[in-house]
Amino acid sequence: MPGTIAPPDIELIIEDSRGGGGGGSRPPDGGDDGDNSDFDRQRNRRQASQRRFSTAIAIAMVSILMFFMALASAFLVLHHSSHVWVAVHLPWILWVNTAVLIGSSLMLERARARLSLGDDRGFRKLWLVTTAMGFLFVAGQLVAWRQLAAQGVFIASNQASSFFYIFTGAHGVHLLGGVAALLFVLLRNFEKSQISRPLAAEITSYYWHFMDGLWIFLFALLYLGK
Amino acid sequence: MVTYDGDANQPEAPRGSFVSRYLLSTEHKIIGLGYLWLALFSVFLGMAMSLVMRVHLIWPGAHFPFFSTLGDTAERYATLPLLHGSLMVFFVLTAAPQLGFGNYLLPLQIGSREMAFPVLNLFSFWASVISLFGMTAAFFAAPQVGITIWIISISIFLAAALCSAINFSVTAIDMRAKGITLPRLPLTVWAWLVNAILGMLIFSILLAACAGLLSDRFFDTHFFSAADFLASQPSNVAADPLPALWQRLFWFFAQAEVYVAMVPCFGIVSHLISTFSRKPVWKERLVVLALCAVGLVGFCVWGQHMFSRGLNPFSPLVFSVLAASLGVPAAILVVSWFATLWKARIRLNTSLLFALGFVSLFLSGGISGIFLARRGITSGAVGEDFVAGHFHLVMGVAATFAILAALFFWFPKLFGRRLNESLGRTHFWVTFAGVYCVFMPMHWMGLVSQSAKNAGANLASIAAWIGPVRSFITVGILIAVFAQGIFLFNFLWSLLRGERIRESNPWSATTLEWMEASPPRPGEHGDGEPAAYRGAYEFGVPGVAEDFIPQHVAPDRVAKAN
Repeated sequence: MPGTIAPPDIELIIEDSRGGGGGGSRPPDGGDDGDNSDFDRQRNRRQASQRRFSTAIAIAMVSILMFFMALASAFLVLHHSSHVWVAVHLPWILWVNTAVLIGSSLMLERARARLSLGDDRGFRKLWLVTTAMGFLFVAGQLVAWRQLAAQGVFIASNQASSFFYIFTGAHGVHLLGGVAALLFVLLRNFEKSQISRPLAAEITSYYWHFMDGLWIFLFALLYLGK
Repeated sequence: MVTYDGDANQPEAPRGSFVSRYLLSTEHKIIGLGYLWLALFSVFLGMAMSLVMRVHLIWPGAHFPFFSTLGDTAERYATLPLLHGSLMVFFVLTAAPQLGFGNYLLPLQIGSREMAFPVLNLFSFWASVISLFGMTAAFFAAPQVGITIWIISISIFLAAALCSAINFSVTAIDMRAKGITLPRLPLTVWAWLVNAILGMLIFSILLAACAGLLSDRFFDTHFFSAADFLASQPSNVAADPLPALWQRLFWFFAQAEVYVAMVPCFGIVSHLISTFSRKPVWKERLVVLALCAVGLVGFCVWGQHMFSRGLNPFSPLVFSVLAASLGVPAAILVVSWFATLWKARIRLNTSLLFALGFVSLFLSGGISGIFLARRGITSGAVGEDFVAGHFHLVMGVAATFAILAALFFWFPKLFGRRLNESLGRTHFWVTFAGVYCVFMPMHWMGLVSQSAKNAGANLASIAAWIGPVRSFITVGILIAVFAQGIFLFNFLWSLLRGERIRESNPWSATTLEWMEASPPRPGEHGDGEPAAYRGAYEFGVPGVAEDFIPQHVAPDRVAKAN
């Protein structure tokens, strides 16, 4: 498969890789040339990558928002028109989960502050805590499902419960994507990467805060929609 | 989330096996061609389906060697239009103008080496292939299983389309070369950008609806299955809300899907008409605004399909106004096409013929759409045939004409050879006459059958009228499909034996994709870095030797006229 061995330098826009005169073609990569001599070009490319990653995450967030808005509008329509709406008694642990998720957002910002100060150890520690809180939230949501199931409320029980499971499930899946991004930022070796760690952390933070806000919206919808 | 793309678009010599060079290549040109091949396969499969349906309508006893073994239940027949529709809408109308030509040409036209996320692009392509397999496989499964497979396939396609939409918008926004400012973007790029944003909004809505459907099927929830859930309820309760929910979500997507198919075609047709008229696009900025307006309003008109469905009494008015306001950008586009053609030294070749055919079909289909956008005419006043005729003309056939126009225009870019002109002209005229013979009588049938039914005339006399018309339509289809045989022959023959182009810019076009070799060498960008110095449609500039100035020619390099 092309593109698994060679160094990770995307030829983006303006830069012409063959520009360096006679023998300009890039040498087949020997595996250790992460350090490109042409520092300037590297930097230009980085700037171009930066923009495209932030644009992409912004557009992806709009798209995800539309997905949840469609479900939310379905929720409101059915809630108002259904004559057999049986409200879900929301498990108490959801409040704890919400607090954990908000806490993780705060923790993430503190980690990024450390990163911008150049304190790598502090960043790693706080970032790890953020990731752990993300996992804790998902685990808490599973506990909420167990609590509901213990009450005898399953996904097929009634429309309100279906919506509860669909909302929490879809949000959980999206949030796990965020957890994967958190782990990526933590574990990836950014020396050879086209994206720097602060930028990756920043983009991940957009998504994470978005997941946070989305959950608050969904929780409010479920709570007020009782 | 961070997508790590590796070095996917490093220029590399064509080496490695067929699999690594074509099937797993992240290069935008190979992926774009892949989508075009998918579309070609799907359009012929879908056409075969429609042929089977039409033939069954007039010769119900006809036996097909293959279909007869599948059993002739009503469900089996119902899967035919379903497969025909989903292949045509998703893999031809959505895939070819946007994902096929867009993937191939968008990076070239903005002077970028690649799409923004090549690996994501490869993922989208293969997800689409899997989805196509799934949809086709659903046809052969038992109905209930088949529908489940079909919904899963649609969901996969939607996820892939969402990834593509993100890829397209980011590429058009962030990957433009030096000098490619927004006002200098070709209209095709504008159309692909608007369309990507529109697609991104509506595909996620249908994805949400599909999630609900799948949950209904796998977890026994009751988002949409009203019947068994409310069987014990009073009938007025059961009748109202639940099916309407599906219709709302579905039409939210489906009405805008029409524009998803049309918007790139608008861009392509404007581009071609300008190039072959040797004149700049008339009021280019206004056309860009019109494209954006089609995207914006097209996103908002879903309610026009809900006139008969118990919405708030004021909302039909709102949607009617919105639907009518689509006429404004549409009118701007049409006026711009004609004004560009006006008093031009037109180079009338097959590509332009198909573009003009698009204009003609768009106008006639659009006029019947005005009837449908009126509040008074709900499903009661016109028959299904009228609606079928309308949307086939304006969406299916018109868009197909734009795709063919694009194919005739960019075939030299794609393969370094030309399609045969005389075969192309024959293909055009037979198809053009054929589709009018098929879809115009369909409008008429819809009107006649419904009005006669409303007036209480007896059905036997209507049937006596309708029968011959129906046979006429089927004959028309047979001729139109035969013409596609000419096209297929032209396509394959030109691919292998067609006239090689001598210069890399055979149409004297201005945009950046023509500045390099045709077909472009993998991963390369001609000589030197791409940059643009002028707008996309500089034709007939006074005081210049040739009648066009390509975008990449620097001001001091323009050859002066004597």
